[in-house]
Amino acid sequence: MNKHEFLVGGKQIETQTEKSSEGYTVRVGNQSYNIQQISEGLFSVAVDGRRKIIAAATVNGTTFVDIDSVVVELQEPSHDGFAGGASDHAEAPDKIFAPMPGKIVKLMVAVGDTVEPKQQVVIVEAMKMENPVPARAKGTVKAINFSVGDQVTTEEPIVELELAK
Amino acid sequence: MSDKLFKKVLVANRSEIAVRVINACRVLGIKSVAVFSEADRGSKHRFAADESVFIGPPPPRQSYLDIGKIIQAAKETGCEAIHPGYGFLAENSEFPKACRDAGIVFIGPPPDAMLLMGNKVESRIKMSGAGVPLIPGMTASAVDPKVFREAADKAGYPVMIKAAAGGGGKGMRIVHQPNELNDALEAARREALNAFNDDSVYLEKYIANARHIEFQVLADSHDNCVHAFERECSIQRRHQKIIEETPSVALNEQLRTRMGDAAVAVAKAAGYVNAGTVEFLVDEKGAFYFLEMNTRIQVEHPITEMVTGTDLVVEQIRIAAGLPLSEQMHHLTQRGHAIECRIYAEDGENSFMPSTGRILHYTEPIGPGIRVDSGITRGSEITIDYDPIMAKLIVHAPDRPGAIRKMINALHEYKILGVKTSKRFMVDVLGHPEFQAGRTYTNFLGRHMGERLSAVDDHVALAAAVASVASLTTRRGITVGSGDGPAVVPSPWEALGAWEIGDSIHE
Repeated sequence: MNKHEFLVGGKQIETQTEKSSEGYTVRVGNQSYNIQQISEGLFSVAVDGRRKIIAAATVNGTTFVDIDSVVVELQEPSHDGFAGGASDHAEAPDKIFAPMPGKIVKLMVAVGDTVEPKQQVVIVEAMKMENPVPARAKGTVKAINFSVGDQVTTEEPIVELELAK
Repeated sequence: MSDKLFKKVLVANRSEIAVRVINACRVLGIKSVAVFSEADRGSKHRFAADESVFIGPPPPRQSYLDIGKIIQAAKETGCEAIHPGYGFLAENSEFPKACRDAGIVFIGPPPDAMLLMGNKVESRIKMSGAGVPLIPGMTASAVDPKVFREAADKAGYPVMIKAAAGGGGKGMRIVHQPNELNDALEAARREALNAFNDDSVYLEKYIANARHIEFQVLADSHDNCVHAFERECSIQRRHQKIIEETPSVALNEQLRTRMGDAAVAVAKAAGYVNAGTVEFLVDEKGAFYFLEMNTRIQVEHPITEMVTGTDLVVEQIRIAAGLPLSEQMHHLTQRGHAIECRIYAEDGENSFMPSTGRILHYTEPIGPGIRVDSGITRGSEITIDYDPIMAKLIVHAPDRPGAIRKMINALHEYKILGVKTSKRFMVDVLGHPEFQAGRTYTNFLGRHMGERLSAVDDHVALAAAVASVASLTTRRGITVGSGDGPAVVPSPWEALGAWEIGDSIHE
């Protein structure tokens, strides 16, 4: 028997997997699933008498699973949880990052301005589309680290705020 | 096969449309040449063609938009004609001119017709003269914000700002109140300049509760011009279509005939030759207005092919070679119902934000009446360099409810992991009672998609079970390079494309 642990949206889930004559039997809480592998990364499961085709792929400690077009992301708890992108910075609302690598086409604030949550502060162009980036908290603009025309990554904050108390 | 047809055609595009055109060449017995940028060295379209030519660095201006390099590639490989696909050079009238000067046939309309229809302002003036109904608004682009304010007051809010050189939803803004007008003008100008190298914009009344219905037209150089019925493209995000269907539930036989006749009148007034699309807005009362003509093959052309049993790209190539429309084009009927879903690399759960990454898992759905036009395979890299369209999923069924059910199942079976897609979003649209009732207006997403049918929580336990089995059965991909985590190397069968055992023996 194999035991696995995953984190989904901060919640921990444990599974117990056993090889059976027809694939694998996995227990999750009080549920039990019989799963067959069709080909690499592609699985077949009967749920409530209906067959579902499910895909799974793992990269950097995160497993993505597609069930009926809904993609669930499961983290290995031991992994550092590198994901990249805006979600990485969720706990730092005083820093405003580009949602994806791109070019700054407009800055709507200056140092000293006060901003409200959801107020657009910068527009980043990527894939020929303009993506407005909002502030996530109320505060005063402390620093602007880039200018219009600069290329930005998702790793360095474009605008830094002094959060309102 | 006619001996007038070309021996070899260059495809001046990338991704799924390049693969689509290459396939049309193959069924006509024509050899194909792909072009590719540095970012597309490993892309599917490159290996689908019989030959491929490297044309430069990733930025489009230095590769796919570089007319000189593309003409040179066609000459070097001995191509007699160039197909532009859609986007990139497809609607740049300098390109057909450059082809003509180089003695190469451009598979598309004459430059004059393209230039006329490419300017949304000029084409409005021309079509009002041809008796085609137009949306109230400005008849010329302007610079002075005052002109826009006055025109908006006259038309009444809400109004729509549009790029004169527009297309693909770029440079468009809806303005609900006078105080939003200046910001919207500025944003539309900037986006238009970036997308079309032309910042002229104009203003029209915004028609609420409108349907976007377009007609496919085909004209040959022997004065034949026909339409191949409508496509309803009302489900849009950021003014860009994501789900299209045909026939439209909004048209009865009488309205279909009137709009089809108007579409043919537009093509004739423009002196149009080859395949094109005439777009209309249809309001709740069934009044229709000419929007614009797209002088290229459309992204959504496959649904027309499904219900009419035609191959529009083959027809484009025949027309460009000087042949008359195929006999069947004069006897078209609509058979059954077809739907297309565009598969973009974007996050349907987060404002359709573009998503990048490597395709870790890729499985296409198969079955009767299911078609996938794809530019990706397992291992493909989706970068920020180009439009995020990866593939299109098209289904055909005897009726609309059957087509909706088939599409939902096909989306479930279409597995793409590694980048985010709008699959789940589209399943929720297709499952929505208002969509199923045929009440599809251009504001559908804003109005109905606040509450969603699917939920992640329902699937977490099963996902954990599958992830557990996956961790025991999946061999980790072979790592390429370093640092970026495991890369999956596509099998030779996925990467080789058009390759046949024994093929080269006959050369």
